[in-house]
Amino acid sequence: MSVSVLRNFPHSEPKSLLAGGLAILVHLVFIALLVFGLNWKDHPPEGMMVDIWTELPKSVVQEPVKTQPPPKQSKPVQEQPKSEPEPPKPEPAKPEPSKAVTAPVKKPDIALKEKPEPVKKEPKPDLEEQKRKEQEKLKEQDRLKELEKQKELDKKKELEKQKELEKQKELERQKEIEKQKELEKQKESQKQKEKEQAVQRQREQEAKARKEAEAQRAAQQAAARNQITSEIGKYKALILAKIRSRIVMPPDLPGNPVAEFSVTLLPGGDILDVRLSKSSGHAAFDSAVERAIFLSKPLPLPPDPSLFNEFRNLNIKVHYLE
Amino acid sequence: MSTTVTQDMSFLHLITGASVLVQLVMLILVMISLLSWWYIFRKLFVIRNEINKTDEFEDVFWRGADLNALYQRTTNSRYVSGSMERIFAAGFNEFNKHPIGSDLDAVMESTRRAMRATYQREMDYLESHLSFLATVGSVSPYIGLLGTVWGIMNSFRSLSSVTQATIAHVAPGIAEALIATAMGLFAAIPAVVAYNRYASRTDQLATRFESFMEELSNVLQRRAAQ
Repeated sequence: MSVSVLRNFPHSEPKSLLAGGLAILVHLVFIALLVFGLNWKDHPPEGMMVDIWTELPKSVVQEPVKTQPPPKQSKPVQEQPKSEPEPPKPEPAKPEPSKAVTAPVKKPDIALKEKPEPVKKEPKPDLEEQKRKEQEKLKEQDRLKELEKQKELDKKKELEKQKELEKQKELERQKEIEKQKELEKQKESQKQKEKEQAVQRQREQEAKARKEAEAQRAAQQAAARNQITSEIGKYKALILAKIRSRIVMPPDLPGNPVAEFSVTLLPGGDILDVRLSKSSGHAAFDSAVERAIFLSKPLPLPPDPSLFNEFRNLNIKVHYLE
Repeated sequence: MSTTVTQDMSFLHLITGASVLVQLVMLILVMISLLSWWYIFRKLFVIRNEINKTDEFEDVFWRGADLNALYQRTTNSRYVSGSMERIFAAGFNEFNKHPIGSDLDAVMESTRRAMRATYQREMDYLESHLSFLATVGSVSPYIGLLGTVWGIMNSFRSLSSVTQATIAHVAPGIAEALIATAMGLFAAIPAVVAYNRYASRTDQLATRFESFMEELSNVLQRRAAQ
């Protein structure tokens, strides 16, 4: 019983699903890192390569342009509120006349109500006079009404005139602002032009300076080359003279035979190899020259080691007669 | 210059632009990597659980608990036992099967054999899938390298038709190809680290089991002699 339990004991593995989830999580993190990491490095260079070179001169010019517009925009913004609050002022003014219109209309009602009372109180005294008085009062009231109406009309006209004036003023202001803007733009464009011209001048000057520098360099190089060639010639002559001084000349050779040797040198003047490249026709003379070459070791070389390449393989021509 | 810079070098573009074999290699590597990480986490949980269980059982055992009670607890089907408890149960079960008065040497020998059999089984369970991690660690860089070599071969072969060879012609192909190596290394490095760590942990557990077996057989022998 117990043995079978022990043998077939199921190894219950803990959290195998959690392990799978964690594995997928690790991969997602890695992929995200790759995707964002690679894209990150990719995009900046695209714009950078082009922009840096074209904007260098303009960036100086564009800075004022960028800084100046905000005040321009802010000015109209500040002015608009000024112009807008003004119309509301007349509006509140309108209700006042309207009240004035209604008030006088009500007043006659009150007057009419008041009037019957005295009519009731004093019916006997002259009705005609009362009527006349009433008519006069009514006429006066009508006159007053007309006067008030005229006043109102005058006020309205004045308000309209004021409005028109204000509008004109606003238009003038806007025109002035536009003019100022145009002036500023013109100034800016002039500045830009001046700056561009200055940049161009600088460039031209730089180009001139470069050309001059190049010419100087070329001259210096030519001079250096001349020096080098003269040095090489000098040392070749020295070598030939040293060899010549060591030759023991065989006597009585006919004509002026020439022996040519190609000599391989080591840095420092040691002789690595001497080969007869063109015989003079007289073995005695050839061997005498060869011996002299070996005897004149070390050969004189220029102190500048960079010139040694010119002496590595020397061709030496020795004439029998000087 | 600008044409080379503006080429789309994003990660997805690099993968979709790769040749079929390179893509196949990448797919294999992703599968391998997923599997190996799954095993890494599974073995992490299993081994950590096993170490905890062993610590707990040793603590209880050496405090002088009753062997019969321990055996009852271990064979209880509800109780989730550890490897060391199972080894103990196997040995104690075998020891108790022999009638009192039988040959002590023979009893101890069969007890030890029973414990060893269970020990082998438990070690087999603990070390399962570790060989997979070792294989991933050693092989997946080569699989990635195969993809890279193939991709670079293709990108150089496309150069043959061009008179003037520039880096711009080769670079995208090489970048595509190198992703395969990166994936291979991503699969391999954690697998190797995990394999070494888990191997040392299972070795430690094995020595603990073996020493416990020896000590338990001593305890049982004393018990039989009494």
